[in-house]
Amino acid sequence: MIMKSSTAVAKMTLDGEEVGFTPGETVYEVAERHRREIPTLCYDPRLEPFGGCRLCVVELEGARAPVASCTTKAEPGMVIRTRTDAIDAHRRTLLELVASENRENDVDPLRGYASQELATLLDRYDARTGRFAGSHSGRTRDDDDNPFILRDYDLCISCYRCVRVCAEQQGDYAISIKNRGFATEITTEFSGLLRGSACVFCGQCVQTCPTGALADRKALANAEVPGKIEKTRTICPYCGVGCSVDVMTKGERVVGVQPAMDGPANEGALCVKGQFAFDFVHHHERLVKPWVRGEDGRLREASWDEALDRAAQGFLKAVAEHGRYSVYGIASGRAPHEAAYTMQKFIRMGFGTNQIDNCSRA
Amino acid sequence: MTVPTDKELSEHWRNEPAPLLPLLHAFHDRDGYLSDEAIDHVSQALKIPIAELYGTVTFYHHLSRREPGSHAPQGVAAPRVCMGPICSLRGGPAILEALKSEGATAMPCAGRCDEPVPVLRGAEVFVGMTPESSQARSSPMPPPNPDGVEECVFAAIREPGRAGIDGYRKTCGYEGLERAVAVSPDDVTEIISESQLAGRGGAGFPTGRKWKAVAEASGEPKTVVCNADEGEPGCFKDRAILDYDPHGLIEGMAIAAYASGATRGFIYLRYEYPETMNILERAIGEAEAAGYLGESILGKDFDFRIYLRRGAGAYICGEEGSLLNSLEGKHPFPRNRPPYPVTHGYENLPTVVNNVETLASVPHILRRGAEWYRGLGQNGHAGTKLISLSGDIRRPGNYEVPIGLPLQTLLHDWAGGPSDGRSIRAVTMAGLSGGFLAGDDLDVTLDEPSIRSVGSMLGAGGIMVFDDSRDMIAVAHAAMEFFAEESCGKCFPCRIGTQRLTERLAGGGQGQGPTDLTEWIDEVTDIGQTMKATSACGLGMAAPLITESLMRCFPRLVAEHVKS
Repeated sequence: MIMKSSTAVAKMTLDGEEVGFTPGETVYEVAERHRREIPTLCYDPRLEPFGGCRLCVVELEGARAPVASCTTKAEPGMVIRTRTDAIDAHRRTLLELVASENRENDVDPLRGYASQELATLLDRYDARTGRFAGSHSGRTRDDDDNPFILRDYDLCISCYRCVRVCAEQQGDYAISIKNRGFATEITTEFSGLLRGSACVFCGQCVQTCPTGALADRKALANAEVPGKIEKTRTICPYCGVGCSVDVMTKGERVVGVQPAMDGPANEGALCVKGQFAFDFVHHHERLVKPWVRGEDGRLREASWDEALDRAAQGFLKAVAEHGRYSVYGIASGRAPHEAAYTMQKFIRMGFGTNQIDNCSRA
Repeated sequence: MTVPTDKELSEHWRNEPAPLLPLLHAFHDRDGYLSDEAIDHVSQALKIPIAELYGTVTFYHHLSRREPGSHAPQGVAAPRVCMGPICSLRGGPAILEALKSEGATAMPCAGRCDEPVPVLRGAEVFVGMTPESSQARSSPMPPPNPDGVEECVFAAIREPGRAGIDGYRKTCGYEGLERAVAVSPDDVTEIISESQLAGRGGAGFPTGRKWKAVAEASGEPKTVVCNADEGEPGCFKDRAILDYDPHGLIEGMAIAAYASGATRGFIYLRYEYPETMNILERAIGEAEAAGYLGESILGKDFDFRIYLRRGAGAYICGEEGSLLNSLEGKHPFPRNRPPYPVTHGYENLPTVVNNVETLASVPHILRRGAEWYRGLGQNGHAGTKLISLSGDIRRPGNYEVPIGLPLQTLLHDWAGGPSDGRSIRAVTMAGLSGGFLAGDDLDVTLDEPSIRSVGSMLGAGGIMVFDDSRDMIAVAHAAMEFFAEESCGKCFPCRIGTQRLTERLAGGGQGQGPTDLTEWIDEVTDIGQTMKATSACGLGMAAPLITESLMRCFPRLVAEHVKS
């Protein structure tokens, strides 16, 4: 049975409409629930509200200046206006300013899950005016040649979502904020490469970056593959956690993996394997047919029947010579539940040994 | 003297309150810079992730990451030369050039505008307008008011020996605290509320109301933090109090602690006042020995200790949220408000954050009464305000004025006006944060309502004077450059806005932006309005007052600037 909360529903006024809220909710959360489209760049619902981009400012009656809705808690009796001419003008100016600090603002969507956020807002607020020209911020780390994460900081807008997701979600604290003001950079300890830092290449910084300044190098390698990107929701095949992912394809080709932000097990998180290790799918050395070793010691293609017979013979020989405990089964974490069950049944019943485990436990 | 090991340094500090800054300073003082090994050691000793600590170290401009080099004495950081708005017009650039061989670098206003140009060398400040005349000197004493206009904070500051506890007690020192503990904490707060004392750091929040909020907030221990991070260019008033009346501050903090229920206190002192650090350390020691700090103060059930912490070069740390984050060893970004420090301050517990001047007024008010203090103002305003006056004026210095005094009276009658044959072109208000006043705007009185009516603010009380020989575009450019360099980088409007405004004020072919005057004004106005409306803290809200007031006061200069 669902218990009704005993707290009386608190009320506030949102764009002239009286709406209820749960104490503790922010003005932004209340507004989102009521389908207001408040723009943000530093916001990620999984992270502590930061209040940096100021795009989410709204008018609060009685306040001297607009307030950031992401950091302002809803209070009973508040009168909020999420869109006024003045607020829209400030948002547009802020977006024009942000656009002016970057080398470019339109990036390949393969760069990352959130990579289109800035470009989308520039269109929505008609902010591609080229005003406020001046020097660019950020410095791309061409020297960081790790295979996974492109650090294209020319496109960085200092929202610090990467730094915060690394600390708050992943618990790694691998990256931080160097210098200050317009000279701000995202850095590892002593400005080194990711490889020499505490980074585990989970890729969460890439997927939360709203400009593509951090990009998925594996996916981006497929930028030139023709076709439209399609996303298919599935479960990561690697281990038993069951992270939801969107596999990105162009035609028949897998071009990248993105975490599902609404995945119940992972909420946008992945590990290095689930995030980046998808290129085996189309690898030219991938085994797609059974092979057996011939009399001459060389591998040759075989039928499934022949290959399975050969494997069965090998097992039987080992048991005959060394006893049933000479066999130890390790089920693959990539196998589904039913296959894992069949595997343990096979080892227990087939060989009479309890030496069975699963690689997800390792 | 033996050089302490890494471990000795970290063992000394790791269990002290607010240990990060003093531990970093200990390494910096020992080595003259912070090596990778030192940062690594501190990271492990204080359990701060190494990337985060490295980033935080790069935030503070006095923490050098470079070895001083062979020319410098062992363990002494390279000299820093003040290039603030006043010093850069009084020999600062030449001194910096002359000291280049020692690895000297420029620093923003170091709070010695009444006696330029300060050069920071390790724990000493040298002053002088040429490299040859530069020598270590105590800071100037505030000049007395003309015609005996009554003072509060400075009333006894010129008494000989006032900085020591014996001299302080001879001049009624600690009588305010004695009176305070004789009544209830609520009564003390009531007296302060009646006096109408308000935050003298510039925010103007009623002091009594702040103390009451902390007293009523749940959570312990409670803390009193004295904001002595006097970083506003053109402000040096707190320096005078701290150098010549340190017990006045300590007494004020003890009274604030008694009223609010706090048991621990911090003084967050700006890095640029090294001698002041020693003066305060000695004074705290004296007060502890005499029983004005510590346990069972004056025989009452009242414990209070003060810890002295030194900043490391970041203007934003004068903003209270940044200051608290800095004390806690975090990245010194401002905090989102609400919640306010009165409920979620140091270590997220109830905290009074007051400016030096505010706290130093308190003992006088306790001793002489709320009515006396209120009566010190003029034209219906309560109390006094310290004004740091500097620049093109005959008698620069700290003046304690009745709130409501006409600005022109201060400039001409008190401070002697500009030098012969010169006239005042403009003055800044609130240090730099209030922008410029010129022409008829100079007829304001020194109180917030009057100054706000012309689009500026009194703020912390720094006033810099520029006469008719000065290039106001260049002054405005340097001011905006200061804000851009000190912008913390947290919020977009300030981080990008200060940069774009600096680029639009730059001269000598360095400028960027429209060359059409209307477009230039549109851009600068739009940036300024969005900064004022949406910035996360006072820095971003105040910086555009520079361009706003420049366009209002000097439209012709602006037009010429844009054309060129």
